[in-house]
Amino acid sequence: MAHTPVIKAEGLSFKYNESKEGIFDVNFEINQGEAVLITGNSGSGKSTILKCLNKLIPTITEGELKGKLFINGEDYDSVKMYALNKKVGSVFQNPRSQFFTENSTAELVFPMENYGTDKEEMGRKLDELKKDFNLGKMMGRDIFTLSSGERQMLALASSLTMNQKVLIFDEPSANLDYGNAMRLGRLIDKLKHNGYTIIVADHRFYYLNGIIDKVFFMEQGKLTSFASEEEFKNSGYDTRSFDIFSLNIPFTGAAESKDSVVAELKDVSYKEILKNVNLKLHKHEVVGLVGSNGAGKTTLARLLCESNKPDGGKVVKGSLPFFIMQDPDYQLFGTSVDNELSLVKNDAKRIAECVDYLGLKPYRYKHPFDLSGGQKQRLQIAMALICDRDLIIFDEPTSGLDVYSMQRVSDEIVKLKEKSSVLVISHDYEFLRHVADRIVYLNDKTIEDDFILNKENVNRLNAIFGKMAEETA
Amino acid sequence: MRTKKKMSRIRINPVVLILINVIAPSMYILINGKYLQYFLLVFASFVLILMRRFKRLAGMLVIYGIMIGIYSITIQDDRTKFIGLFLVVLAQSVPCLVLASVLVSKYNSAELLAALETMRIPRVMVVAVTITLKYIPTFAREFTLIKESMRLRGIDFTLKKPIRSFKYFVVPQLFRCAALAEEVTAAGMVKGIDAPVRRSSYFEERVRWSDAMIMAIFVIGLAGGIVWHTRL
Repeated sequence: MAHTPVIKAEGLSFKYNESKEGIFDVNFEINQGEAVLITGNSGSGKSTILKCLNKLIPTITEGELKGKLFINGEDYDSVKMYALNKKVGSVFQNPRSQFFTENSTAELVFPMENYGTDKEEMGRKLDELKKDFNLGKMMGRDIFTLSSGERQMLALASSLTMNQKVLIFDEPSANLDYGNAMRLGRLIDKLKHNGYTIIVADHRFYYLNGIIDKVFFMEQGKLTSFASEEEFKNSGYDTRSFDIFSLNIPFTGAAESKDSVVAELKDVSYKEILKNVNLKLHKHEVVGLVGSNGAGKTTLARLLCESNKPDGGKVVKGSLPFFIMQDPDYQLFGTSVDNELSLVKNDAKRIAECVDYLGLKPYRYKHPFDLSGGQKQRLQIAMALICDRDLIIFDEPTSGLDVYSMQRVSDEIVKLKEKSSVLVISHDYEFLRHVADRIVYLNDKTIEDDFILNKENVNRLNAIFGKMAEETA
Repeated sequence: MRTKKKMSRIRINPVVLILINVIAPSMYILINGKYLQYFLLVFASFVLILMRRFKRLAGMLVIYGIMIGIYSITIQDDRTKFIGLFLVVLAQSVPCLVLASVLVSKYNSAELLAALETMRIPRVMVVAVTITLKYIPTFAREFTLIKESMRLRGIDFTLKKPIRSFKYFVVPQLFRCAALAEEVTAAGMVKGIDAPVRRSSYFEERVRWSDAMIMAIFVIGLAGGIVWHTRL
């Protein structure tokens, strides 16, 4: 019998309406039991390929589609969306909108209900998933109260309820801490060995080291295929992300800061999350705040912003910090880029300088919501640059950014410390190595480690990441 | 002890609550307004007691009381009359709104979906209604976030400039809403919401005695109102 690939693309092209972006003449074959990585910078067409694979293109996203796609030899055109998604499970990137319901049990049975599965069968499958993915503790809970690692498990389990054998992931690591990303890597490896076909689109892939069978590298909508992980590593493309700890990044050269203290936590406790935390933040210093998901990093930032009041201890600071949250959509209120910046400080000269420096000049009169994700973030950085606050806090500024954009943000953050103190909450090792002068490690309700990041101390940072990975093992 | 407490809380089939919410407001055409207003207030209180939603019951009675109180004061004077008349109309919808809020907050979207499905409403409608209902708690959550980030940005919600303040609230919501609608649709589509088979339900509930009794009391109350109305 001739061997049929699970998925095959022949001259696949898609162009979005009113945009030049898309994918062009893409050809590939994926066989059963393979783990495939689709990588490339933001906007290179990774997600477009995934949307073709689960048929969201052309069902929901409009545009011009050409070429052929086959699943187990069957033409995609002749397969209906609901029939296809019984074979292909999708795990999306956005933790907020990938769930249709708000209860974890409801989410797991949701696909089975849609396909009319009877109640006994649903109960049986639920038990099986509970066992396979260790979901015992999270059944029947409000999804918004789950941690990001738990949500990832839930998303994965619910995409396998119809016994799908092909699984696609869109940037699964974007919202995971290092430990949870490594656990996802182990899970993908296990699924692969159980015969599942796995397709992951991501621009960070350290958690997939040694697991990948094929790499599709996307560049401006064009696909280059590599037959193995080795071949990809030897290709001359930037594949450093495979082993983040071996990266040779120069240190910022910071020493113990003698500058003035802009904010201080004195013996601060908050609920069951933080206990007797002491921390001083200095001017002209970038502090990287690290710790597992749920360790209380964001709570600490919220205490500094007076969003939460400490139960014990004292928060001492001058002005209110400028807090840049993960989702820019909640933080933009202006009618144009210029207007947004003038809401921060009405200083036309400063605004013009900043807009120019950050490459936002062509978009000055655009509505902030019409900007791309990267541009929105640069707008936020521009806001931070012109504001008169002593402390600027970033919450996961690089989640979902490709390596190139991450490096760019790093440079901009380093620029910010010329005038302020900067606190970055991050689980992005590479980014921390670029920007941080000092590392503060939050674990078990308190600050477990606090050190200047230099050549002598880098092992301490590596050990923290190692520890976070062990916690999920 | 805990199970006993749970046992005594009567769980009402969401279909019953949906039906009541659909039927009740339209009855103002047929039935004397005053009678219906009092009946719905008593009936909603009764349902809330059965469901042991005492806080909500108290909230409903307080709001209702305040509205009627203001009505009785302002109605005395021709200059303030309009406020009272406006509030008395608003007060009529309070019992229904409270029952609807119980429906949205105490049942998850899967249960609502199942309830609507048993009512034989077309799938397209079912999905649209479910997504809308699902958006309400999301809206509340996002509202808090936006308010918080306005505070951090130093953009105050001031009554001096109500329109501008309102704009800061609403515009981000509209953009979020549009994005969310698309994402949620995609989430449903990849999980087979368009499958042309009769949906089954993990949460489907049989119509119990209690449901039938509640429905009966509701219908008898309305029928009584119609009889009274025609007699008068």
